[in-house]
Amino acid sequence: MGKRLWVVAAGLALAFTGAVGGAHWLSETRRVAAVEPQIDDEAMIARGAYIARTADCIACHTAPGGRPFAGGLAMETPVGAIYSTNITPDPATGIGTYRYADFRNAVQAGVRRDGTPLYPAMPYTSYAIMPEADMQALYAYFKGGVAPVTQANAAATIPWPLNMRWPMAWWQWLFAPAREFVAPEGADARIARGAYLVEGPGHCGACHTPRGLAYQEKALSLADGDAFLSGAVIDGWRAKSLRGEAQGLQSWSEAEIVAFLQTGRTDKVAAFGAMADVVAHSTRYFAQADLDAVAAYLKQLPPAAGRINAFPPKTDATTAALQAGRYETRGAVLYMEFCAACHRADGKGMPRVFPALDGNSAVFAESPQSLIQITLEGGTMPANDRGEMAFAMPAFRTLSDDDIAAVVSFIRGAWTNQAEPIVPQEVGHMRKFLAGKAPHVVVNRPEDKKGD
Amino acid sequence: MNKRVRYRVAGLLLALPLGAWASGALPPSASEPQGRQPAAAAPAERAPGVVLRYPVLDKDGKRLPDYVVPDDALIDAAPNAEQIRLGQRLLNDTRRLLPGHTGAAMNCNSCHIQQGKKPLGAPYINSFNAFPQYNPRADRVVTLADRINGCFQRSMNGKPLPRDGIEMQAMIAYMKWLAQDVPPGAQVQIKNAWPIDTKLKPDSTRGATLYAKQCAACHGAGGEGKRDGAGNVVFPPLWGDESFNIGAGLARTFKAAAFIRNNMPMAVNTGGHWGEGGVLSDQDAVDIAEYFTHMPRPDFPGKERDWPKGNKPADARY
Repeated sequence: MGKRLWVVAAGLALAFTGAVGGAHWLSETRRVAAVEPQIDDEAMIARGAYIARTADCIACHTAPGGRPFAGGLAMETPVGAIYSTNITPDPATGIGTYRYADFRNAVQAGVRRDGTPLYPAMPYTSYAIMPEADMQALYAYFKGGVAPVTQANAAATIPWPLNMRWPMAWWQWLFAPAREFVAPEGADARIARGAYLVEGPGHCGACHTPRGLAYQEKALSLADGDAFLSGAVIDGWRAKSLRGEAQGLQSWSEAEIVAFLQTGRTDKVAAFGAMADVVAHSTRYFAQADLDAVAAYLKQLPPAAGRINAFPPKTDATTAALQAGRYETRGAVLYMEFCAACHRADGKGMPRVFPALDGNSAVFAESPQSLIQITLEGGTMPANDRGEMAFAMPAFRTLSDDDIAAVVSFIRGAWTNQAEPIVPQEVGHMRKFLAGKAPHVVVNRPEDKKGD
Repeated sequence: MNKRVRYRVAGLLLALPLGAWASGALPPSASEPQGRQPAAAAPAERAPGVVLRYPVLDKDGKRLPDYVVPDDALIDAAPNAEQIRLGQRLLNDTRRLLPGHTGAAMNCNSCHIQQGKKPLGAPYINSFNAFPQYNPRADRVVTLADRINGCFQRSMNGKPLPRDGIEMQAMIAYMKWLAQDVPPGAQVQIKNAWPIDTKLKPDSTRGATLYAKQCAACHGAGGEGKRDGAGNVVFPPLWGDESFNIGAGLARTFKAAAFIRNNMPMAVNTGGHWGEGGVLSDQDAVDIAEYFTHMPRPDFPGKERDWPKGNKPADARY
């Protein structure tokens, strides 16, 4: 008996040693040598700055109110927070002493210069498809175009043993293969460019593609799996489905997608939550041709399996009832007291000022998380380059769970909307989640002006 | 490697750190440099279910039970719920429901924020109990119906309602309901408007610049306001033929400044009753008010009868 136990223990120890050793070997082999490029070219640096915008590096690598790219933004995981790192060219605390190979290995392979594998909070699975020339320009920008900031990286709050990094090497072996961009079959140049921006630097799938048990994105392109961009919940926000389906982008035109990415709003909707940051720091800087390409690519995505293309037609009976003073549910009474001043009895809001609730795909999304969160916490639109005011919605956290469930259920089924009602427990869960959540990234940072 | 295999291996991987912990084989990994504390969660302003509560004093200054701003849902419990509801709708949707009595494309609640429930936002909370009262502009004691009709003739640039009509009585019923149990003569301790410093010197040029920046998005570069697809008022016009006339309180610089100081612009932050506050200083408010109040607007036919004793305020328009 005792002997058998020893054999099992020895076997386990051997397997464990193999796992650790194998992990180190994997991380080593992921790292690829590279020739140091010439990076003193201003045009190259400028191109790198644009690529950094398309990759939205600043959003995660800058803390609320912090210096650009100096890191320190908390990212919550179920087991603790990790903090983004300083990627300014500061030699002591940033990446000032990185060589091009180090930089590329971190960005595309997810391996730090010291060989430590990075968590997939860094979207290297997406960045992996960026071409060499773009990586070199990006490197040139971070070496020559970003101001160095001395700010030490913060330690993660994930407890031992979950903070051990070596298992991530195995994760990378499984889920983050080295790969190149493959244009979708039959794609013209514009759609191929859109696909590249969405799959690669834009890393849209990081939020919009559901993740598996090991936190891996279930698909890295449409060819890789039907889960691609089919919608997911991340950080308490519903990142909507971007597929051509009723609760995805079916109700959006290409022009609306472009306007949304460029200005944070359309006549009907406004960016809020995490997407407001994406618009504020990334998509509003996209060249027109790139915005058109992204919109064209997204609009040709088919619905995911089992999802409906469009809702059946529905006639709006809500507007007439509310305007006639017929408030048939508690949700309707609450709507008229707390929401109608801005979103109006007709649910149409005011174009580019107050988002519509009727026909707004954030309202009738399959999952109500975003709607519940913005109702509890409020939200602010991203600043834009048209000089439009960044309007905000006040927090309604003083309403009870029952009342928020009633009013959210009302708007999800009012006018022409056809989404399922919610229950108070969902509001309670969100409230608990928000109580433990680090403050949301502050949008519209003063230093984050166009042309910086 | 196909997906199913990937998932299985992933499951195994997840088990590995736990195995390591159980074996005690590895020390905690070296910690990275300590730079900052995890950010604390933003404190909630108020817990759910907490209500807005204000002290009440009777006419002798004696403290009465506190006043709680009632939710609309409570209207249904009143015996005259239908009348109260009608009054509330008339105040919210005045232009659409009473086109014959309104010349301005405005609603009562364009200025009486949140259906008259917001302190500093021209609330109706004390209206029912504060009338009849002496009005210096008219130099006589006026009733609440008189006061409401004053609004119809000035702010709404329209015609008075019959005092005993369904509409007037419904509006009064809403204000009475809003006063809840506060007895006549007693006052809820709130302010109707921001206590603006009337010694400030208005600068209309600066006001025009600020207007363009802080107001024009909703009220229009030409003060024309905005309407919805059906032509109903959303943002009221601040000058021109469809705005309030020169007899309105809001046509006076300091009255308008006291109103906008805290209530405007709305929907610009995630706190407050409707996202207002924290934008304008007293001087900003006075400058903006000077600018838009003095833009062209309808005349007030009864202006000769105002302030018969000659105690006209400095910012009166006639």
